[in-house]
Amino acid sequence: MTTTDIAPDSVAVTSEQDQTYVERLVTSTSNLSLGKSWIFSGCVYLVFSTFLGFLLDIVRFDSDSYLIFSNVDKFFQFWSLHRTSIVLLAVVPMIIGLAMCIVPLQIGANSIVFPRAAAFGFWVWFLGSGITVVGFLADGGFGAPELGSQREAVALTLVGLLLVIAGICMSVICLLTTIISGRCTGMNLRRIPLFSWTMLLAGTLWILTLPVLAANSILAYVDLKGRSAIYFGSEDLIWDQISWAFTNPQIYVFVLPVIGIAYDIVPVAAKVRQRNHDLILILSSLFGIIGFGAYAQPFFDTPGTPVREEALYVLTALLAVPLTFFLLVGLLDTLKLGARNLTKHPPAPMILSLLSLLLLISGAIVGALRAIEPFELLSRSSTSAQMKLTIAAGLVAVIAAMLWWGERIIGKSAKQGFGLISGILITAGALLSGLSDSVNGFLGLDDFTTVDFLQKVSAEQLVKILIPFSFIGSMLIFAGAVVFLLVELLRTKNGPVSEADPWNGHTLEWTEEIVTVESERPLLDEAEKAGT
Amino acid sequence: MSNTASPPAESRPRTLVTGAVLGSITCVMFFAGLFAIYFSMRADANAWGSEWFPEGAIQLVPGGMNMATLSLSVITMAWAVRSVSNNDRIHTYLALGLTALLGIAVINQTVFYLNDIGLPIDYSKSSTLLFTIVGAHMTMIAIGVIWNLLLLLRAFGGQDTKRHQDLVSALSFYWYAGVAVYSIIWIGIYIAK
Repeated sequence: MTTTDIAPDSVAVTSEQDQTYVERLVTSTSNLSLGKSWIFSGCVYLVFSTFLGFLLDIVRFDSDSYLIFSNVDKFFQFWSLHRTSIVLLAVVPMIIGLAMCIVPLQIGANSIVFPRAAAFGFWVWFLGSGITVVGFLADGGFGAPELGSQREAVALTLVGLLLVIAGICMSVICLLTTIISGRCTGMNLRRIPLFSWTMLLAGTLWILTLPVLAANSILAYVDLKGRSAIYFGSEDLIWDQISWAFTNPQIYVFVLPVIGIAYDIVPVAAKVRQRNHDLILILSSLFGIIGFGAYAQPFFDTPGTPVREEALYVLTALLAVPLTFFLLVGLLDTLKLGARNLTKHPPAPMILSLLSLLLLISGAIVGALRAIEPFELLSRSSTSAQMKLTIAAGLVAVIAAMLWWGERIIGKSAKQGFGLISGILITAGALLSGLSDSVNGFLGLDDFTTVDFLQKVSAEQLVKILIPFSFIGSMLIFAGAVVFLLVELLRTKNGPVSEADPWNGHTLEWTEEIVTVESERPLLDEAEKAGT
Repeated sequence: MSNTASPPAESRPRTLVTGAVLGSITCVMFFAGLFAIYFSMRADANAWGSEWFPEGAIQLVPGGMNMATLSLSVITMAWAVRSVSNNDRIHTYLALGLTALLGIAVINQTVFYLNDIGLPIDYSKSSTLLFTIVGAHMTMIAIGVIWNLLLLLRAFGGQDTKRHQDLVSALSFYWYAGVAVYSIIWIGIYIAK
């Protein structure tokens, strides 16, 4: 019996030419096409969620303006939507998109493994993201304590969240399988480029932790759809059950590829070989391990033994600081080695890579302070500060990566200067907002600032002075996100066709030649051999 | 834009099996999350001296029968893997068919038990957790049965030969993960109550 699993190439090409743009978009299983869809959708949600962050800070700036959201419960719902969307609808999807495009090329695979499953993963996520947002907007957000939402809409939001998690997990499984099984000859795990390495770590941690978030969500859904929600599905308790995924230490897991992006960009920009590659592999792995946060769910604390006061939680929060510091030192060492190769105007992606690691360190420091029990910062605005700084590290790294690899992904050059501006705006905004929120945390400002509380603390003059800084910071982050979206739209529409290898890259994504892989930087090996 | 670096000639983990192992890990972590909540809340209830399940509500026999059925299915699944690697199509049909049948039996017993238990889903936190965990596991087994039946169809089409053994190996990992999860349900929920 003959089977014809694969259509002949000529037939495939003809039918592809007959398809409209939308048909091609929906039916494509190419890793580049899927990656671009992830990145573009993530960009749109980034603008949406940073705009929400900006609106939320307006209320903190001027407590009367909470009426924008109609009532305090709605304010809380949008506050939780902001946190959910910036992580699961913006940063993580953009990182997956980058990985979908770059990882197969970096490891010498022709394409992503299980392309149809990868496409299915994207569309499941896309559908889920839409349902999540619609659910939130239909008064189905995770409500404020002691206030209620629309039960059916909350159920819809939970379904959306489950689909988002399923889509992410499915795509990540395809990526991980590609890294594990699709590497070319000579590309052992010690030799895979650091972006692919950190994606392997991050992806593994995502499929270990996101299903736990799915378990929380499904439990809430089952209870909510029961005859009467008795506990897990109470609208005012759902956010408490899932909020662990958006705080220390789990937040680090979502931005782990920041390290890989920085370590792939800086040595090439400085035109030197990265020293201590194995040490960087170990440090990034340790940083990933300490980010495993599925165990730290305060909602299920045993009375008298809060998980966030246990040694493991505190130790991992403290360890994040030296780990990120050593990782920054590694990059600075590379810069020192290549100092004479750097021009007066270093490439924008290199500057942004360094800024992203600086933001990551700032986030780690705030996270460490937050975990020190006597400071009593666990439910203060320091939580928001740590999230803003850490997530901003991810955003700035994504911008750096798009300015670096975007020419390989889209085939057109971007305005590097505008890209740099967008990254700097986000960095400045995150630092301004994050640092003022950190100080306000010490002054007793709650993480979720209700209007009543704002009136109560109005006597605290310093809090009132610092809140505008947080507001300006959020405005800058939003402006940076808009500029980034415009840069990428302009690149796609009008950007000049780019060179094949504009940076003289060290890794396989920059060549289409057959290359022998003998180290983690095969193209640099070739160049050095040619030089000698 | 294809990268034409050296062709993959080195021995790498098998793609389908790797994907199935990763997928199974994802499923196991989902249940790990639910188990963690269940055991933590039960420990708290015991510590405070509160009732977790009403006396006699959880019976051992249905759970034990399901465990026995799934244990048998582990043997038939291993038989399927062995048969397909030996290019023995007849035994592959038999083994896959029996595994699917045992899976369907587990689903049937679970549905019967959930109807028979006499505890409404909103009776207490424990009953909500029980229904969620057992229901989610039943879904996992149902997916395994559908996958199994698809392989059986392919087998009838002549595709489950040694050349396609990864398909059966991939299913076997998923199935074993399902049985492992059930063994925790059986010990942790039905026996330890």
